[in-house]
This record gives sequence, C-alpha cells and structure tokens, in this order.
Amino acid sequence: MIGDALYATAVQIRHNVLLRLRDPAQIISYIFLPMALMLVFEPLYQRALDGGTLQTVTGPLILFSVFALGVVGNSVLTEREWRTWDRLRASRAPRTSLLIGKAVPVFTVLLVQQTALLVFGCAVIGLPVPRDLLHVALAVLLWGFAVLAAGTALATVVRSRGDLMLATDLGAILIGSLGGALVPVDLMPGWLQHAAPASPGYWGLALMQNAVQGDLRGMLVPALVVAGIGLALAGLATYRLSRGWGRSDLL
Amino acid sequence: MNELVEAAAPPGANGGVPSDQGTHATLTAMDYGDPRESGDDIVLAAVDLRKRYGDVQALDGFCLTVAAGEVVGLVGHNGAGKTTFLEMVASLIRPDSGRITIDGADPMQSRGLVGICPQHIALYPSATVREHLQLFGGVNGLRRRALRREIDELAVGLRLTEIMARRVGVLSGGQQRRTQAAVALIHRPRLMLLDEPTAGADPETRQAVLDVVKGRAAEGGSVIYTTHYLPELTELQATIAVARRGRVIARGTGAKLLEQLPGQVRVRFGNDEVRMSAMDTTGALVTLLSSATAAVTEIEIRKPSLDDLYRSLAVSDDR
Repeated sequence: MIGDALYATAVQIRHNVLLRLRDPAQIISYIFLPMALMLVFEPLYQRALDGGTLQTVTGPLILFSVFALGVVGNSVLTEREWRTWDRLRASRAPRTSLLIGKAVPVFTVLLVQQTALLVFGCAVIGLPVPRDLLHVALAVLLWGFAVLAAGTALATVVRSRGDLMLATDLGAILIGSLGGALVPVDLMPGWLQHAAPASPGYWGLALMQNAVQGDLRGMLVPALVVAGIGLALAGLATYRLSRGWGRSDLL
Repeated sequence: MNELVEAAAPPGANGGVPSDQGTHATLTAMDYGDPRESGDDIVLAAVDLRKRYGDVQALDGFCLTVAAGEVVGLVGHNGAGKTTFLEMVASLIRPDSGRITIDGADPMQSRGLVGICPQHIALYPSATVREHLQLFGGVNGLRRRALRREIDELAVGLRLTEIMARRVGVLSGGQQRRTQAAVALIHRPRLMLLDEPTAGADPETRQAVLDVVKGRAAEGGSVIYTTHYLPELTELQATIAVARRGRVIARGTGAKLLEQLPGQVRVRFGNDEVRMSAMDTTGALVTLLSSATAAVTEIEIRKPSLDDLYRSLAVSDDR
C-alpha cells in the first residue's frame, strides 16, 4: 500500500517536472531579474547603509520569491483550466500523493531560485559566505514552504489567470516593499515602520538576514511566524485541492 | 437482465424513491428485469441520490444499477443530471443524500475500479499522448511491463500509434478525443464512465471508441455511456436509462422500450401528406384513403427509433 502511494507520488513528480521544464520562462525571469536588480542597487545600498551588501542580496531575493507565487499559482491553476486535477482525483492514487507530487517540483523550483540568488550574491555582489550554511538552508526551506503554500492557496481561490497575475504582482510589491525588501524598514516613514510587521515579507527578510549572519536566536521568532503563515495557508490549500472545485463559480 | 424496467427503488433500499417516480413515462407496467433481481453480478448500485447546487436540484432521487459486462446508455437532455451522477460515481462530488456502492464499497474506496472520460477535454496540452498514458496508468497502479502492454494495446485499438510522441495541444479534435478515452481506459477499470466520449468526433474516432468499449464490455467491464447520438447505443447493444430532471424515468433494453412505442404511417397525396400513428386502427387508415380526393403517391411505414423513444419519454415527463 505504501509502496503504491510512493510509486504514484513518483509518477506525479516526474510528470510535473516535465511540465515545468517545458514552460521555464517565468522562473528564469524571476532568477535573472533580481540578479540584474542586485547589480543596479549594489552601489546605492553600499553608500546608504551599513551592511548594504546584505540588503542588496536579501531584498531582491525576498521580493522576487514573492513574485514566484505566480509560478506556484500557475502550476495549480493550469490543472483547473485543463480540468486535469479532477481526473487525477478520480484515480486510485491517495490524495496526499497527488498533493505531494504536485508540490515537490514547484518547491524545488523555489529552492533553486533562492539558492541561485544567494550564490550570485556571494560570488558577484560580495556577500560574505554565511558562517553556518544549515541556518541558511533552514531559512530557505521555511520561506520556500510559505511561498509554496501561499501560491497554492491563492490558485484555489482566484477566478482567472488575470486574478492570479494581479494578486501576485500587487502582492509581491506590497509584501516586498512593506516588508523592507526595497527600502530597509529603518528608513521608512514612522507609520510604515509600525505597519511593516503585518507583511509576511518583513518576517521573511528578517529570517533570511539573520540566517545569513548566523544569528540563530534572531531567526527564532521570524521562523515561527513564517512557519505559522505557511501552515495556515497550506491547510487552506490542501482543503481546497482535496475537495476539488466542483461547480463553484471559480473558473 | 436486460428486460424493460420502470425506474424504481430496489426492494428494501434505504429511503426508496419518491412516490411519484415511475409515473412520468408513457411506458408503464413494465416487467421487472432489473439486474438486481436476476442474481447478476452487480458492479454499481446507486440509490436515491440527491444533489442541489444553489437553486438547481441536479439529482432528485436518481437510482441506477449496472451489472458486470453491461453497457448502460444514459440518455437525457442537457441538465438531466447525467454528468453530476457520473462525477458522483467517480467520487469527485458527494451526494447530499443517497448511497452509491461500487462492488459493494464506497466510491472513495473503489476509485481504482473506475475510469472516467469527462465530457470536456481534460488533458495536458504540453504533454505527449504517451506521457498521458504513463501518468494515468502510473497513478492507477500500473507498472513497467503491464503499463507498456496496456499502452500498446490501447494505442492500436484507438489508433494512436502514429501520434504517441506528439503533444496533445497540437492534435486534432478527434485525436484528442481518442487520447481522452485512452486515459480513462488505461488501467482496465471495472466500471467505465464515458460522458459523451464521441461528442464532435469524426466517424473514425467514433468507431474506434465504440470498438474498444465493446471489447472491454465483452471482457466483463461495465460501462455507463452518455450520448445524444442514440444509434451508438444500438451498436453497443446497450440497455438504456433515460434521465430526466435528476432521476431515471425509464430503464430497459432498446428493443423492449421500442416495443411499447407506435411506428408512424405517412401517406402522401401529390404535394400533401398525412402522418398517423401505426397504433391507430386499420379502419382509420382505410377511411383516410377512401376519402382522399387526390391520388395516393406514396405510403411509408416507419418503425420507431430510439430518438422517438427519447422524445416520447421526455414529452410525457413534461406533462
């Protein structure tokens, strides 16, 4: 039984990897655009901030990982548009297998994006190589999980691809900028500084920056908040995907 | 089995059916030939299913049983509840009330036994035909040699051999229809739910699908086949269930159902013609002919068709 479930999961993963490889444009742009942005911002942040290199690398990383909600959302939305998710739900594969099979390739894409940006930051921008890579790995995994859950949940409630684009573009700019990904929170107007913790990006940025600096204690609260956000959204996404859409007004 | 059955609750079924069920069709007093009564191997039993979407009562006491090796043609107007019923059997939606068993078990526990071919194309445009069959065979538990064998057999049966490596998005409508059917049949399901599998298809596609379905039924597979093209049901030697407003209003073999219907006599006088039911007395025909003022140029006697049957049941239900 477990063997069958694992096999079904592996089949799903293989299939979704194929689909991702055949439609790579979006994620390629979300890897190379932040790299370009880092190169442009680097002199500005170096002059304006202490520790400007850290902000130069982690700011665009957080901003564009939120943009990657669109990659996650699209992978789910296409299953709705193509009506293929119901065919999978009707198969004998356990629904957890289907969910895992769908999530793993997209999660991998998110990890690759963040890892590529950190490596670029160290190799080109001059970010010191983190003292403890395990901390960084933990931060990348947690933030990747939250983005995956948010993107999946989003795709289960939007009505169209246009809705998804609006939500991800607007969400990325709002979450990223309010969270300090573009302008550090310390430099924001006072009222915005107070509002910043309402943004998941604020906690994602804090998690990533503390992880890169090797500050395990500083990681704790941001890690808990990011994990909590991820779990809540994952619960919503799992509920929606397990039930399917039936004949709701969605799409 | 395969006798004419007025839709009714199975004896002792929980909930039964509404008291007015069975009064809709012109075809009444039919001798029971329900598979349940004849000791056949019942694959699907659906009892008193109800489902409401907002203001719409999609299913309203829907009952149907299907025996092993039986092909049931489920016919009815759009909105009669056919697709909702199939989605329920495939465990995609849950009934508000009522009960479905597949080989005696709940649909959720029987998903591997069911193969569904939805009405609308549900395929990945960027994946090839072979990748589709590998995916859906794989998630239904087929591995390596068994999977290859099923893929090869369906590729031949549904004439997919030449297009196995092509992406579905670039295929013609007929090729997509055949791929769609192959995906539903790849794991050799015990119960096949085919929702208008040949809608809009060319004759080649239609014949290929019908041949494969007949083959699977001959091997003991059960089929529920919805269509608006009723001659397909004759070719499949299907028993027929007529759905109307969320319930089955008549059930039986096509031949038995048609026995109850009159044919039609068409008498042509020059440019005029008169149609009358073949059930009318011979005297009425004689009177018509003897009172004719123009020469009779043509007399045609037409046997009732499944289309007539469907119209008859639908009209009677509207009254």
